[in-house]
Amino acid sequence: MPALTLASAMASAEPSGRRAKPFLVRLLTNLSGALGATVVTLFVVTAVLGGAGATPFPPAQQFGRDRLTAPNERYVLGTDLFGRDVASRLMQGAWNSLRVAALAVAIAGTLGTLIGVTAGFIGGSLDTLIMRVMDVFFAFPALLLALLIIAVLGRGLNSAIIAIAVVYTPIFARVARGPVLSLKAMEYVTAARCIGTREPMILARHILPNMLAPLIVQFSLALSWALLTEASLSFLGLGTQPPDASWGVMLAESTSIAERAPWLMIYPGAVIVLGVLGFNLLGDGLRDVLDPRLRKR
Amino acid sequence: MQKIAKFFMVSLIIVALASLPALTQAQSGGKILIMARAADTTGLDPHKQTAFASLRLLELIYEPLVTLDQDLNIVPMLAESWEFNADSTQLTMKLREGVVFHDGSTFDSADVKATFTRLLDEATGSAARSNYTSITSIDTPDAYTVVFNLNTPDVPILAAMASVNASIVSEEAVAANEFEQKAIGTGPFVLDQWIPEEKTTLRRNDNWWIEGPYPDGVEMRVIPNEATIVAALRAGEIDFALLNDPLAAVLLKDDPNIVLNRVPALAYHVFQLNASRAPMDKLEVRQAISCAIDRQEVLDTASLGEGTVTGPLTIPAYQVPTSEFFCYTRDVAKARELMAAAGMADGFTFKTIVANAEPPTALAEAQVIQAQLAEIGITLEIEALELSVYVDRWLKGDFDTAVALNGGRPDPYTMYARYWTKAGNLQGVANWIDDLTDSLMAQGRAESDPAKRLAIFTEFQKHIVEQAPWIWLYNGYEYTAHQPYVEGFIPNPTDSLMSFAAIRLNR
Amino acid sequence: MLRYIAQRLIAFLPTLLGVSVLVFFAMRLIPGDAITAQLGTEAGMLTPTQRAALERYYGLDKPPVEQYFIWLGEVTQGNLGFSIRHGKPVLEVILDRFPLTLQLALMSVIIALLIGIPIGVLSAIYHNTLIDLIGRLFALIGLALPNFLVGTLIIYILSVYFKILPNSGNYVSFGDDPRRNLEQMIFPAFTLGFALAASLMRMTRSAMLEVLREDYIRTARSKGLRERRVTYSHALRNALIPVVTLLGVQAGYLLGGAVIVEQIFALPGLGRLAVNAISQREYALVQGVTLFIAFNFVMINLAVDVIYASIDPRISYGKR
Repeated sequence: MPALTLASAMASAEPSGRRAKPFLVRLLTNLSGALGATVVTLFVVTAVLGGAGATPFPPAQQFGRDRLTAPNERYVLGTDLFGRDVASRLMQGAWNSLRVAALAVAIAGTLGTLIGVTAGFIGGSLDTLIMRVMDVFFAFPALLLALLIIAVLGRGLNSAIIAIAVVYTPIFARVARGPVLSLKAMEYVTAARCIGTREPMILARHILPNMLAPLIVQFSLALSWALLTEASLSFLGLGTQPPDASWGVMLAESTSIAERAPWLMIYPGAVIVLGVLGFNLLGDGLRDVLDPRLRKR
Repeated sequence: MQKIAKFFMVSLIIVALASLPALTQAQSGGKILIMARAADTTGLDPHKQTAFASLRLLELIYEPLVTLDQDLNIVPMLAESWEFNADSTQLTMKLREGVVFHDGSTFDSADVKATFTRLLDEATGSAARSNYTSITSIDTPDAYTVVFNLNTPDVPILAAMASVNASIVSEEAVAANEFEQKAIGTGPFVLDQWIPEEKTTLRRNDNWWIEGPYPDGVEMRVIPNEATIVAALRAGEIDFALLNDPLAAVLLKDDPNIVLNRVPALAYHVFQLNASRAPMDKLEVRQAISCAIDRQEVLDTASLGEGTVTGPLTIPAYQVPTSEFFCYTRDVAKARELMAAAGMADGFTFKTIVANAEPPTALAEAQVIQAQLAEIGITLEIEALELSVYVDRWLKGDFDTAVALNGGRPDPYTMYARYWTKAGNLQGVANWIDDLTDSLMAQGRAESDPAKRLAIFTEFQKHIVEQAPWIWLYNGYEYTAHQPYVEGFIPNPTDSLMSFAAIRLNR
Repeated sequence: MLRYIAQRLIAFLPTLLGVSVLVFFAMRLIPGDAITAQLGTEAGMLTPTQRAALERYYGLDKPPVEQYFIWLGEVTQGNLGFSIRHGKPVLEVILDRFPLTLQLALMSVIIALLIGIPIGVLSAIYHNTLIDLIGRLFALIGLALPNFLVGTLIIYILSVYFKILPNSGNYVSFGDDPRRNLEQMIFPAFTLGFALAASLMRMTRSAMLEVLREDYIRTARSKGLRERRVTYSHALRNALIPVVTLLGVQAGYLLGGAVIVEQIFALPGLGRLAVNAISQREYALVQGVTLFIAFNFVMINLAVDVIYASIDPRISYGKR
């Protein structure tokens, strides 16, 4: 699991310094950042179009007579077993995959950060208690945890979101707690406390802003794994439910028929790789830009 | 640092060594038949196992009194001959002499009595018990004669005995009651070892009462992914395979190097409506659903056309031409009329439960039905469930509709008594019954004349299709595939592997 | 150090207890039980008396909380329960499968090391050159390829184009036939190792880049040491510290089994054992496997921390 890569990325992050150029300019002049941003933007636009139903064909419409048609002029990326248009389903799949990944990461990120910051900032026995509970989830085999959660809640998009969120929450919590601990000990925080600034104010003014940069990086990278996890869960039949498409569902549906209809595996496979790649690149770019130690390399 | 370098070198050598060519090795082990399948045995007790995967193993080890040939005729096995009395309330069987169990003990009538006593004992927990509850007592006038006294005329009991679940075990085994650990039967192969989810090894029974078995043994491997099974066949790593997924099986159809056997299955794909729930309690609504579904298209999509559209009975001798059934040709206009007649012209929304990958085609069937019903304004929501959850809900009748692949039986009565009789154990799953259906089933049970039985069950089928508590869709094929050098295997509509004993490996 | 280890070990107890509670009650919340899992739809043919007899047989006739404490009592005495399906004690079933999982984890790690570290080092040395770009691209693709895709493709290519399939459900252990075993394990290990190599490569690269800018490297250079010596002897050793940590944690995850890869390559590992046990509702087995994996996970984490402390003098665990 990429948890540790992230943890160390976070650990090496320090409060960001002053900004010379606007953030976006710096991101886009960074090669990874520019590439990542382009892919992600394309991906998001496709997803939104897919979600809004602006697809060449209705993604669930079955053209029985055209089943398993190879890519041609009418069906640019071919049709599947049901005679559904693969291109349209990929667009809808982008929407579903992105939605699950984004919501799961949003929940895990918010919840995890909240838990981690609370534990780190308050400290003491509450910290111990919270981190012990997080340890339980950490030690629990991740895929089994997701399987059990989905088994209890029933299959579907929402269960997949919750399962992914539960698996990632402790990672975010652990990662957010570290910087809080070190920031808390910083001289300027002590100084603020001495002049009588109240605790919530210290948190809001001195600690959270300094954690923002690494958090943004983490969110971007987490999205890429969440996409992969969604694909794996859907591949096992646990995520997005038919007739809705997600990239994992499309790949799962293609396994026994890919030999006859290779386009059913090639396109969703390529799109997953590209999507995950995009988020990874964006994450790298963001880190280069936001992390002052790595800047001007 | 040098240590690390050395470590890398060693690792590199290991990896290089492992990826050397010569990956294919000549099959060794003499005449051992190597077969693969996706599902594994779930237990060894022949009277308790219901999973098809378990039956495929146990039928090589155990033998019942009678069995079915490839045309589903009842033929002798451990019983040489049998006879019903005039009113079909007494079944007398003459047993085969000279049969021994794998542990060397001799087979006789006491073993038969012990077997059926165990089956009927509720403490055993055999789901098949319900097929034999008409037995009131068992007499053993001599060592090779057994008499079953029945409390009601029961001709189908003979077909019910042609089942792995009625396998004969020895009197001593019943007393020891270690069926989950030891498998001692009279069959062609002796169990050596079962490693769950890996493989099962069987060796030849040298004392088998029939000539053979020809293979020295059988190795049953578990390969969870059917695409990998196909790959293993092509690579020549296995001799024989059981396939479930028609999409995987058709890959071998045009493969000149592999023999693919397709036998029409007894099991049927069905869309079960729950008539105890509104609006399916209305006959018109059920009929509208029946008329709106294009069974052939369901078959063409979900199974790539691998199968035949069928009515309730898949047994060849009892099949009725589908043109004689109500609405077996899709008629959307009629479906709309029926919906209007039921006061549901605007359609409605309901759900269907589907087991994930059980059968592999279920989810696809649900999606085609969903699209077809949408045309008459019915919205079908699909709930895909893990198999055990599905079974749990199915047994409780906790569903609007269910997509199912139900097992078939060689006799119409044993096949459907559980659902379509008032006293049926699964009446709570079927959720619909009327007097005519119930009485037709009772008549069919008591009738021993084949022509009259055919007439009774033809009427039963036409009636129930018109009442449409379930929408019967199609029956697919039982697939087996093997290398060309595997000779003598006889495919069976029940998917039985009993002819393994007759296989010759001429590789 | 010993005191620290002891403290950590004691701290594991509540973690493992939490895991046990979670898995026990989650399993009870899932609909369906061992009887329906075994009998399927035929379970509907059972009479109430038959059902009660089977419930006793599977140990389901007591309320869940009572079942939990009975089970926990047994676990504290080292008995993880009995698997009816496997006909063996749960611990034995697990230990039968564990060597494969351990070997697969080790081989994946070795493959990842062999690919990931050299590329990472090269990428760092030739920072911002074509070599770096290719290296990074490799890593990004490695991270983005789902292993079920890699596995499926490998099987397909091997069987269709090379007419071989090293493992067709006849797994042999290393002890029985080392060569055959390695043939069977190399492709799944590669599937898993590829993704791991990608993250190792990224970690090595960034750690190397960081180390190469440190003062002592500059000192070494200014002392006139040759560049190669500086790179390999000074920089790599220090850069490897975070890499070791990453490896430790990854190994911890891999020891939990790799369900999808095990399925595709027909390997009887811990992952498939656990997933099948869930679908068969083999409560004792699911609980046992989960506890076993969790135990390994925490122990490996502890081991990594201890190794870490002994490599890196800056860290001491005596006091915090």
